[in-house]
Amino acid sequence: MHPQIAIFARLADGGEKPVRQIHGQKTLLSRTVHAIAYDGIHDEIVVPQQFAQAILTFRGGANGEEAPIRVIHGSLTQLQRPDRLGIDPVNNEIYVPDGGKMLVFHREANGNVAPIRVISSDSGIGGAVAIDPLNNVFVTGGSRSLQIFDRTASGHTKPLRVIGGPKNGDKIRGSKNITLYPPRGWIIVANQGVNRHRPMDYSEESFVGVWNIHDDGDVPPRWMIGGPFGALRQARGVVLDPKHKTVIVSDKYLNAALTYYFPEIF
Amino acid sequence: MLRRIHLRPRVGVAALMCLVVAIAAWVLFAGQAKRLEWTAASEAALRKPTGYPQLISVEPFPGMDGQMCQWVPANAMTSLRTALQQERRAAQTAAQATPPGFPSAAQQTEVQERSPLRIIRDPYPAFSSVAVDTVHDEVIFTDENLFQILVYDRMDNTPPTATMTEPKRVISGLQTKIEFNCDLYIDPKTGDIYTIAHDSGGMPLTIFSRQAKGDVPPTREIDTPKGTYGIAVDEEAEEIFLAIQHDSAVVVYEKYAARDDPPIRLLQGDKTMLGDAHGIALDTKNKLMFVSNYGSSSSRAPLPQREGEAWETGQERERKPNWPLQRSQAIPGTGRILPPSINVYPIKAQGDVPPLRIIQGPKTQMNMPSHLFMDEERGELYLANDMDNSILVFDSSASGDVAPKRVLKGPQTLIQNPTGVFVDIKNDELWVASFGKHVATVFQRTAEGDTPPLRVIRNGPLDAPGLMIGNPGAIGYDTKREEILVPN
Repeated sequence: MHPQIAIFARLADGGEKPVRQIHGQKTLLSRTVHAIAYDGIHDEIVVPQQFAQAILTFRGGANGEEAPIRVIHGSLTQLQRPDRLGIDPVNNEIYVPDGGKMLVFHREANGNVAPIRVISSDSGIGGAVAIDPLNNVFVTGGSRSLQIFDRTASGHTKPLRVIGGPKNGDKIRGSKNITLYPPRGWIIVANQGVNRHRPMDYSEESFVGVWNIHDDGDVPPRWMIGGPFGALRQARGVVLDPKHKTVIVSDKYLNAALTYYFPEIF
Repeated sequence: MLRRIHLRPRVGVAALMCLVVAIAAWVLFAGQAKRLEWTAASEAALRKPTGYPQLISVEPFPGMDGQMCQWVPANAMTSLRTALQQERRAAQTAAQATPPGFPSAAQQTEVQERSPLRIIRDPYPAFSSVAVDTVHDEVIFTDENLFQILVYDRMDNTPPTATMTEPKRVISGLQTKIEFNCDLYIDPKTGDIYTIAHDSGGMPLTIFSRQAKGDVPPTREIDTPKGTYGIAVDEEAEEIFLAIQHDSAVVVYEKYAARDDPPIRLLQGDKTMLGDAHGIALDTKNKLMFVSNYGSSSSRAPLPQREGEAWETGQERERKPNWPLQRSQAIPGTGRILPPSINVYPIKAQGDVPPLRIIQGPKTQMNMPSHLFMDEERGELYLANDMDNSILVFDSSASGDVAPKRVLKGPQTLIQNPTGVFVDIKNDELWVASFGKHVATVFQRTAEGDTPPLRVIRNGPLDAPGLMIGNPGAIGYDTKREEILVPN
């Protein structure tokens, strides 16, 4: 396995080669990068590095064996196994769910720095996170639920709303990454689906589901794309391209990035 | 004539008046008849017309058990406060937008069945490791892109004009449990294929018979920690060594261990200086173990089990003897990023012990050091140096910041992002699996510099790029450049 961030043209298709790659020892990347965020305001790429307990920030245009411009790393950080993260470029914050808590760092934090806020909840903090600076909430995804918190929450708190329940809990099975569309309050979730082929990470029931930040309780997704029983086998990453009204999904089993036209949510 | 003209209007007026009188009489007498019917009906219902409104029924008001408006005193101060409260409540109500409605079932189905516009996916295999079965003259590769084991004739050589060489046998499918398999070992006695899956939930070390083909279950499985990257076997001691990337550790199993048998030894801890361990090789002659490292790690400590608390199901395997401490047992804030290295230990090393020596430093040219192979006959250690597009050869006694004895590198070698390396001592050949180029190349054992290969096995067209997408656990979008970001 080759640690890298491969960067493809928007219209790339099939086996088309990447336009650039961020890789090599100086990048400090390891494999198992399970989250990536592009900050369009400051033109930066942010990823977690869980083996070294670090958060790496690269220039948006980074290419080749290029070192990160900032590294959050050290004894004050409380980082244990940072696997996923989300950024709020409007309020200059990086959210890192880690060890059942949400660690919030200043966007420009560098070196051995403590989080500016730590958020915990009786119901735990899910593994994936996305921030909506317009409606002032952040959403975390657990194995069977989505939790919606006040964006400015701090300390021990309760979610504003929880989506999930006995009827639709399975629909939120293994929400690996979340993205939001603040203008319409959409929560878009990459669901790995019920895995009936253990230990293979393969599920024909994988899909990308769409909920709303105002949903509460046992609410089914409004939309499902890519499955169940579609092209997806193990949806892991999800991101939007609002300009072209598409949703882009990474699939672990297919080793692929799939682009779907999805104007209904924009 | 005039008289006749004067008479005719008089007759017309009289006829018209007669018609009006007749209609009026009909209306009058007909309405009387209807009123008589109504009167009879009312009398039948015990009501008589009086010419005034009458009580015809009594119905109670609805119950008064709901919320009632609070009475507000009518003075200026409280009226103002009430007005402000109402205004604030109205604003809050507006902010608490209700969820939007649901699309129709037909719309949902249409979206669910929609095909993707585009799929970025490498259609060809990606060779990630290589081993030669010298008894049967076959060469075997793991394919980390399409999840296969590919078996070729050792002497296959893809002509430049051919798209690819077809493998003799392919092991692949859900029954095989092959997923992100990144290394293999061929049993010299039986030809059995030992292969490890890198990054799937609880994937075991699987063993296939030499002739296995298609979607077949493995003949044997051994449960191993997640994130295994390298495998080496000490045939004399009948022990399997695994380098564990996720836990910066080495575990050792008995060669013929069964599914749930625990490791017999564990090497892990701060003193070992293991970090993001990758390749592993053994020098059984000198009783040494070599492990290549990317350099990232953290300190770990066992999780305390509270009294009366049951272990979770997933934790059961973590209680096995010699099971490495997991990422969930990392101590926050202890992460380290060290330069890449090859650490050398006694072959029976276990516990938290320091290496005998370390090959590390800028002179070594290491950059993401991947698989290792120990040539015991010549006392040379081969390294697939992924990011440097090179094969580095060190003396087995090398230590510190030393330059390699030989470097095989350059455009003529066709080596690109090599992750697999194997020395065929019987045939005096060196095999390199290039993860980044859909190609495996064969050289003389001691080749160096920019040397063209003796033979080439391609699994895709000559000009097809190797995308090297592997386990894309996330995805991003660069809105400025309109580019898709795919991390591994």
